[in-house]
Amino acid sequence: MTPDRFEDHCWKDAVPQDLIDLYAPYARETFVGPKPALLCIDFYNIVYRGGAKPPLEIQDEHPNTCGMYAHASIEPTKKLIAAARMAGVPIFYCTQDFRPMNRPAGVGSTKRQKVAWKKEDFDIYEPLAPQEGDVVIYKQRASIFQGTPIISHLNYLGVQSLIVCGESTSGCVRASCVDAYSNGFHVSLVEECTFDRHELIHKINLFDLHHKYVDVMHLDEVVQHLGSFSEGKVAAE
Amino acid sequence: MQDEMNHSWDPFLTDRDKAVFKASGFGATGGFGKRPAILVIDINYAFTGERREPILESIKHWSNSCGEDAWDALPHVQKLLEAGRSKGLPVIYTTGVRRPDGWDGGSWLWKNSRGGERKQTRDTQARDGNEINELIAPHPQDIMVYKQKPSGFAGTPLLSYLTLLRADSVIVVGTTTSGCVRATVIDAFSHNFRVAVMEEGCFDRSQASHAINLCDMHAKYADVVSTDTVVDFIDSLPDGLFAATAPQAAE
Repeated sequence: MTPDRFEDHCWKDAVPQDLIDLYAPYARETFVGPKPALLCIDFYNIVYRGGAKPPLEIQDEHPNTCGMYAHASIEPTKKLIAAARMAGVPIFYCTQDFRPMNRPAGVGSTKRQKVAWKKEDFDIYEPLAPQEGDVVIYKQRASIFQGTPIISHLNYLGVQSLIVCGESTSGCVRASCVDAYSNGFHVSLVEECTFDRHELIHKINLFDLHHKYVDVMHLDEVVQHLGSFSEGKVAAE
Repeated sequence: MQDEMNHSWDPFLTDRDKAVFKASGFGATGGFGKRPAILVIDINYAFTGERREPILESIKHWSNSCGEDAWDALPHVQKLLEAGRSKGLPVIYTTGVRRPDGWDGGSWLWKNSRGGERKQTRDTQARDGNEINELIAPHPQDIMVYKQKPSGFAGTPLLSYLTLLRADSVIVVGTTTSGCVRATVIDAFSHNFRVAVMEEGCFDRSQASHAINLCDMHAKYADVVSTDTVVDFIDSLPDGLFAATAPQAAE
């Protein structure tokens, strides 16, 4: 997307004009980089539980749910994953590490009050489930890069840039995006396939990430770009 | 190692090598830290075989096996673990992990003509080669680090665990001396942990590689020390060093 549409995103109604003006030096063209992989951050069962309702109404019964925000992203995310598959782009998922004896006490992805989770709680939500040939990364902290082999996998596949979607915008998506940027990858974060538990925190974190570290892009732009791969219009070199 | 003056690698060194080490100051004693964690590197059935047998026999079943040298090391590792557990030191094991389809073998498949055979060997045996040898089986409070590359630090949360536990040093045993032990030792050194390598608790499939890699590590990155020296040190530590496993508010 061209620089004049740099602020054409969901945070428009939440960010005051003086802040937009203050961040003017970050405006630039946004794009999907060469040889991308798709990262699907934490699409596990618990964030969809309780249905398409405001999280505050259902979180007592369904801790960590993203409710209506999770459900609104299901169809867009299906489209994104399908486009990536069609284009032959490697697809990575991540979820909580449940392997035996895997950590000392006190290791978690946030400081939220602990719940006695089961492994099934962190299986990938079935409508978005990985297929054979995809890679699932088991992580213990917020970022998909922290304490995982993902960089060696990306190098093995010759991946040079990343398309990211997932949840929560303020937590694991943000941490993963900052680490991806710090490790030298161009990141395209897909707005419609990313969500959190509250609109405000979602928008402000997207605003931060977009200006400083990643290109927040719309689903249709990214899908159109991936479509050009399968039509052979993009010479991958 | 019998004593400080008599190293297992001496027979492999030339007279010039000995003179160079002496003249250049390498191989000084770095010393133990105050809060050591124990690292047990890859002592699983893939590297020990399922029973004591000559290495060339054992390799027929497990291509990575180090044969009898592994079984000579196991009693030393037992002594270390017994001493460490009596003081509540963190015991961290590493072992390999691989997808069923072997895709994440990655660069390993470039360097071993039997790399693709390994999965088949595992499948035809009742045992998973990544299972820790039962003679030194983990206890419930121990930690398992699942790794895919030589170093215990590469692509794992190990560094964050040492930080969380406020460890200042590591005591390392395991296999292979020239591969995963050395890679882990160098990364621990690079992160400014004091490193002790317990010689009789380490093993390799190559005798020459074992000796020369101990020599290299002792020269530059770690103190290569005997089981007795390590056990005496651990016995001298105060009790309950790691009683508070989670971060506590400062007093």
